[in-house]
Amino acid sequence: MSKGSAQKSWPGYRGRTNPRRSLFYKYFVTLFVAAVVPLILGAAIEASFGYRDQRRHISEVLQAEARGAAGRIEAFTDEIRDQLGWVVQFPWVQGDDDLHRVDALRLLQQVPAIVSVSLLDETGTERVFVSRLRLNRTGRGVDMSADPAVIGARANKVWYGPVQYQHESEPYMRIAVAGNLPSAGVAVAEVNLKLIWDVIAAIRIGNTGHAIVVDDYGRLIAHPDISLVLRGRSGSEDFGRIKHLLGTTSGRAVLTGDRGSPVVALSVHVADVGWTVIAMQPVLEAFASIRAALWRSAFLIALGVLTALALAYWRANRMSGPIKQLEEGVERIGTGHFDHRIKISSRDELEQLAVRFNEMASELAISHQKTVRIDRLKQFLAPQVAELVEHSDELLEGQRREVVAVFGDLRGFTAFSARAEPDAIMAVLREYYAAVGAVTTRYEATLIRFAGDGVMLLVNAPVACDDPANHAVRLAIDLQVAVQSVAGKWCAAGHAIGFGVGIAMGMATVGTVGYEGRLDYTALGNVVNLASRLCGLAKDGQILTDPVVAEGVRDTIPLASVGKQIIKGYDQPLEIFAVAQTDTPPRRPDSGPRPMVFEAL
Amino acid sequence: MRRRDFLRFVAGATAWPAVARAQEARKVYHIHWLSTGSEPDPFLDGFREGLSALGYVEGKNVALEKHYGNPAALRSVISELRRGDVDLAVSSGPATRAMKTVKDIPVLFALSGDPVALGVVKSLAQPGTNFTGSTFLSLELAGKRVELLKDIYPGLRKLAVLSNTDHPGEPSEWRATLQTCTGLGIKPTYIPFAGAGELDNALEEASGEDADAMLVFPDVVTMVDRAKLAEFALAHQLPLMFGWSEYCEAGGLLSYGANQRATYRWLASYADRILRGEDPAVLPVMRPEKFELVINLKTARLLGIELDTSAILFRANKVIA
Repeated sequence: MSKGSAQKSWPGYRGRTNPRRSLFYKYFVTLFVAAVVPLILGAAIEASFGYRDQRRHISEVLQAEARGAAGRIEAFTDEIRDQLGWVVQFPWVQGDDDLHRVDALRLLQQVPAIVSVSLLDETGTERVFVSRLRLNRTGRGVDMSADPAVIGARANKVWYGPVQYQHESEPYMRIAVAGNLPSAGVAVAEVNLKLIWDVIAAIRIGNTGHAIVVDDYGRLIAHPDISLVLRGRSGSEDFGRIKHLLGTTSGRAVLTGDRGSPVVALSVHVADVGWTVIAMQPVLEAFASIRAALWRSAFLIALGVLTALALAYWRANRMSGPIKQLEEGVERIGTGHFDHRIKISSRDELEQLAVRFNEMASELAISHQKTVRIDRLKQFLAPQVAELVEHSDELLEGQRREVVAVFGDLRGFTAFSARAEPDAIMAVLREYYAAVGAVTTRYEATLIRFAGDGVMLLVNAPVACDDPANHAVRLAIDLQVAVQSVAGKWCAAGHAIGFGVGIAMGMATVGTVGYEGRLDYTALGNVVNLASRLCGLAKDGQILTDPVVAEGVRDTIPLASVGKQIIKGYDQPLEIFAVAQTDTPPRRPDSGPRPMVFEAL
Repeated sequence: MRRRDFLRFVAGATAWPAVARAQEARKVYHIHWLSTGSEPDPFLDGFREGLSALGYVEGKNVALEKHYGNPAALRSVISELRRGDVDLAVSSGPATRAMKTVKDIPVLFALSGDPVALGVVKSLAQPGTNFTGSTFLSLELAGKRVELLKDIYPGLRKLAVLSNTDHPGEPSEWRATLQTCTGLGIKPTYIPFAGAGELDNALEEASGEDADAMLVFPDVVTMVDRAKLAEFALAHQLPLMFGWSEYCEAGGLLSYGANQRATYRWLASYADRILRGEDPAVLPVMRPEKFELVINLKTARLLGIELDTSAILFRANKVIA
């Protein structure tokens, strides 16, 4: 078997995909699913829970800060209210305006946020006015009884006015307090709300979170950046929107925007003055811990991916190395290197596989050796024998089939052998066998045996042939020609030897018989006996056939009936045919050459 | 050619942020300080204090260039100021008026008068110009000062009013003072002077007026010469009212007004915001919300004034004993 044919026996071998890559891919996918998917799920769950917790936490913080701020703002206004309460304790008595004036001046000293204060008597007329900026007044002044501050204070004891922007910039409000006794009158104070800034500026939520105060209309009252407050109404629009948004949610932190940047905000109402404290923290800072957690998760996921990659690569390499060895080994064995052995020591199934491959290779080697031997042997055998060797099992089995038996033997050989020297006898037999053998081989007939001067041939067994009758007759004719030609030489040497042939066709049992070390292929049945009888009947140069053969070759070879004969073993006389003789070889030196021609009579 | 331009643009665009950061780090801001006063300048000290509290270090990331002189001299300095060389100009008092021509450099001011009336801002809430800063509301306080003087010295009939006419808003300040005096039955004597050079003449004039008390409009010039004014008041047995506490610390009897140092300190925070790129046009003009009444009891004793402790002293924010 050549190398080329071996490669042909592995079609498409080179075209296969690189197995290492696909193994790597499979391992990677498996490890990815095993390691990274749980990580991602874990991170997502952690993030969502963390987000909820953080949001709740932020709400709590913002709530606490906003409440704190609201409390301090209430303290701020309560302080003003209480201080105003002090100056409206005593009823107005004729001529004590100056005492009230001193009270008012003390009030200004006590409360820095109060810019001015008016003290009104029970009629609502201004009696004392003191201010930090404007000139003080004492004595009956304007009637303020219709002022909403006075009306409000008289109705509820305390009145908080709306926020107003002085010079469109500074936030002010008026607070009015009525005395317990109607005769004590009313105190109306003007309060600079810029001073709440201290309360608000002190609030820090995280690093950048802060609180602001807006009034009912969403106008900014206090902001850590005082300049925003001082911008008056124009600076307040954004905060009004936030306030409105927060107003709809009760005490829950919501995400909104403070001039473009997203914030988490929460509002708390300041009861007395009707303001709203909004505590806010930039989203970026508020959810920094979540972001950090997400980054950690991302890092872990990346680590997981890398680990999966590395493991997949390592595993695939561990797998693909032995597989490559196996593959190369199988290829080598396939190309005829049966002595090649695959060496894998992975101590797993792959090693087992390699061992099996090696076993297979040695089996293959033995089988190959046999094939080689048979091939060599076939060079010495006839083609049909070679075939026989190759397919001996089914061909040589005992079976019943139609065969043509051809018998031939020499005439006058017994007499010749009785008087001739052994050397001469053997020489004659040698030539005779050679002639028979040559024809037998040419006609691919089966030589059953030589028995002295007799020969038995079989056609159509064990190797089948087309038209066995015709084939056998032609063989017989050639046999006659060949033997007659050597017989002519013997006649020339003074030995009168002739040759007769008998042919019969019919069913016979064929098969090998014998014992260990000696096997013969033989045919058993009437047809063999008949052929033998016909041979006995045939005269020198004559070929006798039974009716079956004659029928088989009627159209191709001329035969002549020689009449019916009683044949041993047959009840009825059998019609016998002879192949027409057209020529005969020279028989004897004295009788001259005799043409041996067979043709139709 | 086009491709090269494009590449240059891309390279520039990518390099720019880094360059900008580097410049940010190394950048030294140039602040010009313009004043009609002279050193030692307590206002400048207040401003410096504010800057250093905000992390500015002179010579490292901020350079202060001081220009002192009369308005005419300052005008010539101002005409030299160019954007690029100057990041911010800070002016006080009369210098602000001289700065009015500056349109392309942010200017911070600290004014006694009304910046809207002076025409440097459109409104206090929204300046809308390259000017912003602080106003001391001197106009409103002018009357209050007369009133306080009268409270302390009820026998006040004749008041000498010393005023630097270089000061922006000075005429309205005088008008407000005059109005209050009339209301309180006081006869004011207006003694104007123009700049530091004329102060001595003005004092001489005041000494001849035989006034019961004297009011000095707060101003850079009178601030610088506050010790001289205090001495003069003592020498002539004049209760003297001033606008700022520094005066009392120098021996003056009374002052009522906003804390100057605090105001200039605060001005530094606006300077910081403007240097960081905020537009002065949207930074509202600040007004002080705290006013301090300072009384120097030592001077009162020297003047022989019996301060009614219950009526006046309790109103003082600061008493120098």
